[in-house]
Amino acid sequence: MSVTPGYAPSLPSRHEVIEHVRALGREVVAVMPIHYPRAMLRAHRLHPIEIWGPPGVARLEGSRHFQAYTCDIVVKATSFVRSGGIAGTKAILVPHTCDALQGMGSVLGDFLHPEQRVLTLYLPRGRRTSDRDFLREELRRLGAKLSEVSGHHPDRADWMEAFEAEEAADAALADLYRRRESLAVSDRRFYQIIRAREYLTAEQFCAQAAAIPEGERPRRGIGLMISGIVAEPLELFDQIEDMGAHIVGDDLACGFRRVYSPSMRNDPFERSASKLLKGPPDPTCGTPVRDRIDALQTRMRALGARGLLVYDPKFCEPELFDVPLLRKHLHEAGFPVLHVEFEMGKTLPHQTLSRIEAFVETLS
Amino acid sequence: MTGREALPHYVESTRLQHFIDYEIVGKSALRVQRWRDQWKLATRRPRPDSPLNPPLRCVAHMKEIMSRHYLEGRYAAGVRKVAWVTSGAPTEPLQALGYFLVYPENHAALCGVRRQAQSIAEEAEHAGWSRDICSYARTDIGAMLSGKTPAGRLPRPDVLVCCTNICQTVLHWYRVLADYFGCPLVLIDTPFLFHEAREHEVAYVKRQIEDMICVAEEIAGKSLAEKRFQDVMTNARRGAELWLEVLNRSRHRPAPMTAFDGFIHMGPIVDMRGEAVTVEYYERMLAELDERIDRGIGAIKNERYRVLWDNLPIWFKIGELSKWLAERGVNVVASTYTYAWGELAPMIDPQRPLDSMARVYLHPILNRSTGHKLDSMKGMVNEFELDGVILHSDRSCKPYSLGQIDQRDRLVKKLGVPALLLEADHNDPRDYADEQGSNRLEAFVETMEASA
Repeated sequence: MSVTPGYAPSLPSRHEVIEHVRALGREVVAVMPIHYPRAMLRAHRLHPIEIWGPPGVARLEGSRHFQAYTCDIVVKATSFVRSGGIAGTKAILVPHTCDALQGMGSVLGDFLHPEQRVLTLYLPRGRRTSDRDFLREELRRLGAKLSEVSGHHPDRADWMEAFEAEEAADAALADLYRRRESLAVSDRRFYQIIRAREYLTAEQFCAQAAAIPEGERPRRGIGLMISGIVAEPLELFDQIEDMGAHIVGDDLACGFRRVYSPSMRNDPFERSASKLLKGPPDPTCGTPVRDRIDALQTRMRALGARGLLVYDPKFCEPELFDVPLLRKHLHEAGFPVLHVEFEMGKTLPHQTLSRIEAFVETLS
Repeated sequence: MTGREALPHYVESTRLQHFIDYEIVGKSALRVQRWRDQWKLATRRPRPDSPLNPPLRCVAHMKEIMSRHYLEGRYAAGVRKVAWVTSGAPTEPLQALGYFLVYPENHAALCGVRRQAQSIAEEAEHAGWSRDICSYARTDIGAMLSGKTPAGRLPRPDVLVCCTNICQTVLHWYRVLADYFGCPLVLIDTPFLFHEAREHEVAYVKRQIEDMICVAEEIAGKSLAEKRFQDVMTNARRGAELWLEVLNRSRHRPAPMTAFDGFIHMGPIVDMRGEAVTVEYYERMLAELDERIDRGIGAIKNERYRVLWDNLPIWFKIGELSKWLAERGVNVVASTYTYAWGELAPMIDPQRPLDSMARVYLHPILNRSTGHKLDSMKGMVNEFELDGVILHSDRSCKPYSLGQIDQRDRLVKKLGVPALLLEADHNDPRDYADEQGSNRLEAFVETMEASA
C-alpha cells in the first residue's frame, strides 16, 4: 500500500466528537445512510453519527438476522448495533433508502429491540409538489419523535441557529468540490475530509474544510469519475493513484449526492423537505435514468474525466439496475465505464485492483 | 435505445386484425380448447399412484380466461391504450378508462412456470444486468430486449404505472422500462408502514392516484366516467371478496385445494381485478370447492400435515414440490402471498373510490412491517390449524424475505410450530439446489412427525 504524502488533516475521533457534543448539551443519534435532515436533529439538540457498515465489523452477528444476499451496510451495521457499537446513543434513525434498509428498520423495531429508540423516515421517490408536501408532514412527525428522544422542543431561535450552522457546513462541502483543483491535498485525504461530515459537528467540518491548504493539487495520470454508494476502504484512492489515475469528481452517495441546494422557506419542516429533495441525481431517490446520465456526462466533460468507475457494494439493487444503461449511454458519449462490486472490508481484494488497473491502462 | 424504430418486437395492430384475429378466430379457438380441456378432465381416469386428487374442473376456464387476456395483448397496441403496471398498482381507474393492462410480474411468472425464465433472463444478463437483481425484472427486461415470450407478443406501453407498495425494486425496474420505451412513467409512491397508516400517508397516496387519473385521461383522450369507475370498483371488491372466500375454504379438513393451486388460480385477481369475468370465475371456483367439501374430497389424498407457505412461489418447481410434499402427506393449504389479493377486500368502498383506494393500496402485506407479517402468519397458523410453516427465502424478493430469520425463530420458539427457511428464487432455477432443498424439506417433515 502506498503512503499518501502531503497535507494530512487532524481529525478528531468519533469518541472525541461525542464527548464534545455532549459538553454542548446535545445527545447522539446513530444514523443509517443516505439522506436525512441534519438541521432538524441539531434544532432538537441531537447530533448525528452515521453508520456506513462499518467496514471493519464482521458480518457474523448481522447474519443471524439477515440472509446472505443482504448488503454489507445493513448486515455489518446490525452486527455493530448488536455488539454494543452504538451504546450511549439515544436513538438510531433508519431513513427508507432501499428495501434492505427498510428491512433493517423493521427488524430492529419489531424483533431486535435495541436499547436505543428506533426511528424511521420515509423519503419520497419523486420530486413533485405532492412529494414535498408529504415529506414536510413526514418530517413534522419525525420532529415529534425527536422531541420525545431529546426532551427538547425547538423554538424559532433553535431552528434558525441550526439552519445557519448546517447550511454553512453544506456550503463548505459544496465549496470543497468546487475548489477541488486548487486544493493541495491527495484524493485519499480529500475524501477523508468529505466523509468526516458523517460524524463531525457543522463547525468542526467547516474548520477542517477551511484548513486544507490551497495550491497545486497533487495528481497523476488520467482523470476518473467515481460513482456508487461508498468508496471503502479509503486506500482505494491511493491504489488508483499508484495505477496512474486520479479522481476528478464523484457521484457517491456518501459524497456529491449530498451536496444539496439551499432552501429559504420559512416553515422549518418545509425548508428541510425542500432541501432534501434538491440534491443531485440519485437512483435511490428515483431520479430518471436519463437525467442521471445527462448530469454525469455534463460533469465528466466539465471536470475532464476520461472514464467512470462504478464502485458498488454487493447486492445494491438501486445501483445495479442503472449500470447497463450508464455503460451504454456513457460509452456512446465517449466515456468508458467499469463496474466493480466489492465486499466491505479493511483491505482491497487483488482481483478488484487488477480490474481497475486494466481499466486505467485502457484509458491511458 | 428508445424510439419506435428501435423496438422491432413491438408492433401495432389494426382494428381489423384485432377483430378477426382476436375477437373472431382467437376467442373461438380458445373456447374450443376449453371444451377439449373440460372433456379431458371429465374423462380422465383416476390415477391410483398419484398422491394428488384430480385437479379442479374450473382450471379449464381459468386457462381460457388467461389465454384470452394474453391473446388480446398481442393485438392491443394500436387498438386500445396500453398500460404496463406493477401487481400492486391502483388499476381500477385505468380499467374504467378502457386501458389494456399488462402485468410484467405476471408475465415473468408465466415464463417461470413454462420454464423459459432462465433463457430469457440470460438475455438481460448478456446485456449487463446483474444476476443479483430480481429475476422477474431480468426475465422481463430479457423479453423486452429479445422479444422472447411464451405469450407470443406483448403490446408496447403508452404509459407505465409503478406503485412501490410491493418493493422499491419495481421503481428501479420501471425506470429502465421508461428509458427503453420513452413513454411516461407514473409513480405511485406508497410510504412503507412500519406502524399503522397515518393521515398524511393516506393523503399522499390519494393525491398521486388523482394525478395518475389526470395523466391517464390525457393519454386516453377521454374523461373517467364516474358510473363506469364505480362498476369497476364494485367488481374489484366482489372479486377480492370471492378470492378471499376461495382461500378460506382451505380451512376445511381435508383442504379442497392447495396453496400451489392458489398460485395458479390467482391469475385473474391479479391481472383482471375489476372485471366481471373475474367475479364470474371465482363464483364458479367457489361452487366447485364447496362441492368438493360436501363430498369430502381433498386436494391431496392423504392430508396428514397442513402447512403455510410464506413468500412468492418457486414458479419453476410448483408441480414437483406439490407432488413431493403430497407424497409425504403434506398439504400446503395457505400462503401469505395469495392472501394479499383478498385480505383487503373489506377496505374497498365503491362509494368512496379514491379514499378507499388510497388506504387499500397502502396496506398490502409487502408494504407492512416484519412484525405485522409475523402476526399474520400466527393468525393463519391458528385459523387454518397448521402444523408447520415453510418460509421461502427468496433471493429475488428482499422486502418479503428480510425479517424471515427472526420470524421463523419466533414461530418455532414462541408458537411451537416447526418452521423451515427454504433458500430459493421465485424465477431463477440456478438459485435452487434440488438435493439440498429436498434434504431440508425431509428434515422439516420429520420435525412435524416428531411434533405430532
